[in-house]
Amino acid sequence: MHLPAHEFVKPATLAEGLSLLQSAAGEIKPVAGGTDVIYNMRGRLFQPDVLLSVRELPELQGVRSAAGGRMRLGAGSRLTDLERSPELAAYPMLVRALRSVASRHVRNMATLGGNLCLDTRCWYTNQTAEWRQAKGPCLKNGVNVCHAIQSSEVCVALNASDIAPALIAHGARVTLACADGERELLLADFYTDDGVAHTLRRADELMVAVTLPPPPADAVFVKETARKGNDFSYGVIAAAGEVAGELVTGLTLVMGSLTTRPVSLVEPVRLIATQGLTDTAIAAAAAATREELGALTNLYTPAAYKSTLARALVTEALQRLRGAAA
Amino acid sequence: MNTVAKRQVMSLTVNGDTYEVLVSPRQTLLDVIRGPIGLRGTKEGCATGTCGVCTINNEQGEALLSCLTPALEWDGKSVTTVEGLEADGELAPIQQAFVEFGAVQCGFCTPGVIMSAQGLLNSFHKPSEDDINDGMAGVLCRCTGHIKVKDAIRDVVKKRA
Ligand SMILES: Cc1cc2nc3c(=O)[nH]c(=O)nc-3n(C[C@H](O)[C@H](O)[C@H](O)COP(=O)(O)OP(=O)(O)OC[C@H]3O[C@@H](n4cnc5c(N)ncnc54)[C@H](O)[C@@H]3O)c2cc1C
Ligand code: SF4
Ligand code: FES
Ligand code: FES
Repeated sequence: MHLPAHEFVKPATLAEGLSLLQSAAGEIKPVAGGTDVIYNMRGRLFQPDVLLSVRELPELQGVRSAAGGRMRLGAGSRLTDLERSPELAAYPMLVRALRSVASRHVRNMATLGGNLCLDTRCWYTNQTAEWRQAKGPCLKNGVNVCHAIQSSEVCVALNASDIAPALIAHGARVTLACADGERELLLADFYTDDGVAHTLRRADELMVAVTLPPPPADAVFVKETARKGNDFSYGVIAAAGEVAGELVTGLTLVMGSLTTRPVSLVEPVRLIATQGLTDTAIAAAAAATREELGALTNLYTPAAYKSTLARALVTEALQRLRGAAA
Repeated sequence: MNTVAKRQVMSLTVNGDTYEVLVSPRQTLLDVIRGPIGLRGTKEGCATGTCGVCTINNEQGEALLSCLTPALEWDGKSVTTVEGLEADGELAPIQQAFVEFGAVQCGFCTPGVIMSAQGLLNSFHKPSEDDINDGMAGVLCRCTGHIKVKDAIRDVVKKRA
């Protein structure tokens, strides 16, 4: 089946791309690796008027070190190139997260910006157009109803990015550019609880880069999935900090694929920061996790499984973090 | 806005031959290779990035899913398909190994599996077991069970200096 009708434009520079975005009539969608956009266009979930190709924009390429021991990753970098980049060898947890995405085939095409802007996913909408005819459109296509949680007033589709939790745990920032200039924000603040407008990116903006602070002393990444290769996560967790015996400083715990935005855990982090990585504190942190995740319903597995998985992921990550220092 | 999928002339080099083709934005690289260019070795399976049978190699010789690549994105570039592996009637080492190890049954996935393996062999001179699993996890064969495919790849690696 052919893709829906659209116009394909490929600007040569970022400035040209941004001015096209600003002046666009109708819906214009950036496309980088296309592994999400083309997939969803085949399912007729996206029918943009224009596809704006950004994968080869020169301003979006490459990894380079920045002031203060930071690292700047171009949003157009391919996941395969990032995995193998010598500059990122100091961030092994991030490399693990990059390697956990899909398959080599997909990572040879997929970009960092595309992964971080990945559309949210839902068991109902991420199907064929014929399937969706059964219940009709939902909040994602302009109708005020959600088929995943009937009582929900917002779309509760999931954020499936494996890289976002890892980058948030590192305290990464993103740079967004529009024709009038750039702004920078914490990646943790980039996501929202609304599966339709799931990021703060405005329609006239492109993501140009991600900036990483110097690497943490210790970090772990755990992804739970049906098979090892080519599968979206049931749930992921990224943790970073500095571990000395049972003491941890600067701990971050970020969960992905369970909710509409990646969740930075608060109470579990407070428990470990005050009590250390003891068995008792780890158990208390795991028990405190469920409450911070909100409704757990969408995609692949039932809510009871997701609750159990969330506790197991927190336990596993904290135990590995303790092991990392041993 | 009333979108018309305007056709454009693009240039694509496949297996060393350059083609000028009239392409609609609605077409993927897979559509163009099988359609106007007429090379039917590359297959369409899922058309959603999951099965890998549409795999070809990009300019750097890496695995590329032709079903998820907008054709116009590849204007001016070159690719290799399964038809481009043999030279002067001689099968490439990976093709020869597939024959010797019986890594083919119904054959539908074979072009994609071979081009995935070739992508791996282009990226690594001596791929490790992990590299092999990583390079081949994105392509599915319903018949062979993947064991003989991996035997064939290991054999090519073993014979490399
Ligand atoms: C079989 C399969 C398995 C997958 N498994 C995983 C998985 O395990 N983990 C995972 O995280 N993902 C997975 N994915 C999803 C997806 O392929 C990846 O997340 C990938 O990184 C997306 O990158 P891309 O460059 O191809 O994005 P695209 O499809 O090009 O774009 C994705 C979104 O980002 C926007 N966008 C792209 N670049 C920019 C930019 N510079 N500025 C602003 N917006 C931009 C697009 O408009 C679009 O909304 C899988 C996909 C497939 C097909
Ligand atoms: S969560 Fe609800 S509103 Fe969102 S895509 Fe699924 S069915 Fe539609
Ligand atoms: S046809 Fe391209 S991955 Fe299945
Ligand atoms: S040989 Fe039949 S699917 Fe692979």
